[in-house]
Amino acid sequence: MRALVIDDSRAMRRIVGTILTGFGYEVREAGDGRQALDVLAEGFTPDLCCIDWNMPVMDGLQFVVNVRANPAYRQVTLMMVTTESETGQIVKALAAGAHEYLIKPFTADAMRDKLALLGLLPEEVSA
Amino acid sequence: MTLTATSFDWVRQLVHRESAIVLQPGKEYLVEARLLPMAQQRGLSGVSELVESVRKTPDPAVTRRIVEALTTNETSWFRDGDPFTSFTGTVLPQLLAARRPDERLQIWSAACSSGQEAYTLAMLLSDALPNAATRVSITATDLSRQMVERTRAGRFSQLEVNRGLPATMLVRHFTRAGNEWEIAPALRRMVTASECNLAAPLPRLGPFDVVYLRNVLIYFDLATKQQILNRVRQIMRPDGWLFLGAAETTLGVDDNWERVVLGRGSAYRPRKGA
Amino acid sequence: MTLSSAQPITELLDVETVQSIADEVWPSLVGDGEAFVPVPVAPPAEVVSAWVTISGPWNGAVVVTCAPATAAALTESVLMTRPPTVVDDEDVADALGELANVLGGNIKSVLPGSSALGLPQIGSAPSTGRLDDVCRVNGQWRGQSLTITVQGATGAPHTERNEVPQP
Repeated sequence: MRALVIDDSRAMRRIVGTILTGFGYEVREAGDGRQALDVLAEGFTPDLCCIDWNMPVMDGLQFVVNVRANPAYRQVTLMMVTTESETGQIVKALAAGAHEYLIKPFTADAMRDKLALLGLLPEEVSA
Repeated sequence: MTLTATSFDWVRQLVHRESAIVLQPGKEYLVEARLLPMAQQRGLSGVSELVESVRKTPDPAVTRRIVEALTTNETSWFRDGDPFTSFTGTVLPQLLAARRPDERLQIWSAACSSGQEAYTLAMLLSDALPNAATRVSITATDLSRQMVERTRAGRFSQLEVNRGLPATMLVRHFTRAGNEWEIAPALRRMVTASECNLAAPLPRLGPFDVVYLRNVLIYFDLATKQQILNRVRQIMRPDGWLFLGAAETTLGVDDNWERVVLGRGSAYRPRKGA
Repeated sequence: MTLSSAQPITELLDVETVQSIADEVWPSLVGDGEAFVPVPVAPPAEVVSAWVTISGPWNGAVVVTCAPATAAALTESVLMTRPPTVVDDEDVADALGELANVLGGNIKSVLPGSSALGLPQIGSAPSTGRLDDVCRVNGQWRGQSLTITVQGATGAPHTERNEVPQP
């Protein structure tokens, strides 16, 4: 299983990356939406993207819109991982095509639960 | 670690006395993590100081808070998936067919904690049935008064709503209340919460069509487990359904149940003639 | 827009709400069992701050302030680094900034209307505007001073700056 962690905070990328590596994922990182699209274009197609909202250059919402507009990335699951937590923001992200939404602050268990919901927890997948 | 072996022992005995829950050796880190903030907020330097102050000057309110801090587990919504997908997929249709239209279905969340399980069921039912509020009643009970009050309030923190609740359900069934999220009033009205100690004779409840008794038997010794399962069976409909935790079974504990495979999990039904 | 409609933060937010947000953020971001305790200790001689701005019906910033050594210790905890690994200035800016970001995002969601969050910054905290437009919690983490301040921007809409300098 492969994951792309997209966040302008190195600390956050490290935290999310460590959690996902612990679940058996191969993890790549990007510091903004534009960098993330470059990673995809290089041929790394993740099963899961964890996407921060507020980033310079290209924010998480715009990244979601771009990915969902591209049929080549149809199988990529998009999960927002962000401090934006108003109902309207969550609705906006889901309407733009995000599959799930994790609010910061979150725990490793919360990430595990979301992955289980999405069928993306490797132990679940192999069951 | 600010917790000494003697203090851990005292806490362990307190928790077992008040809740029949057993804190195994090795759980010292948990006691430390859960009680250190409480100690610091009282201006004490550590957990052992907190223990000493309660031993010296017994205070039921503080004792209760200590027990509650250690007996609450952060619970997930839709925990383990199957017991809920099989509820809507198999159990509910069978019950609706077996009951008269004017009979309310009775569901029991028997260790409801802060209410996630009860409201998971309320959300599923409200999505599955147009007239859920009149067709079903959900009883939620817990040992802890604080947890019962929390379940009644139906308010959850950001950390809590992050735990396995699909985002689509969050936006449809909850509204923001300050930094917290509150379940929709219609769903809150479907749930009635009250205190209940499973390890003692039960208050007047039921009879129930479906019982969720998940991840609570593990805390009790074998004799208590048997008593609890027996009490639960007495207040269930003969064709009712019992859901236990993913790693739990009645096998080797109580043979008055029949195991039914549902999806990747199972449910238990009172054995005919039991 | 009526300029007098901007409310001070004290009418929109209380210290209890800020504390309850910190209570969730600390175990998740700083580490399991870690806590921000609202018991003040003597402020340090030298401080560093990280903050995010909030722009909307209310304008201001959410600022985290502590001693440089505390910031370094916080960073080590957030990044889970162990000796002999040390954290550098960039790590501190990042970790402290993310702490301000997560606190700021949650505080923003409690405010009325919809607001935008700025990207995290680090350095000397921006100066406050009106003195009553401040909600501050003086506290500690691991016994070291740490303050969370929600402060209105200087030159907020309620202050008109239309004077033309006289020749």
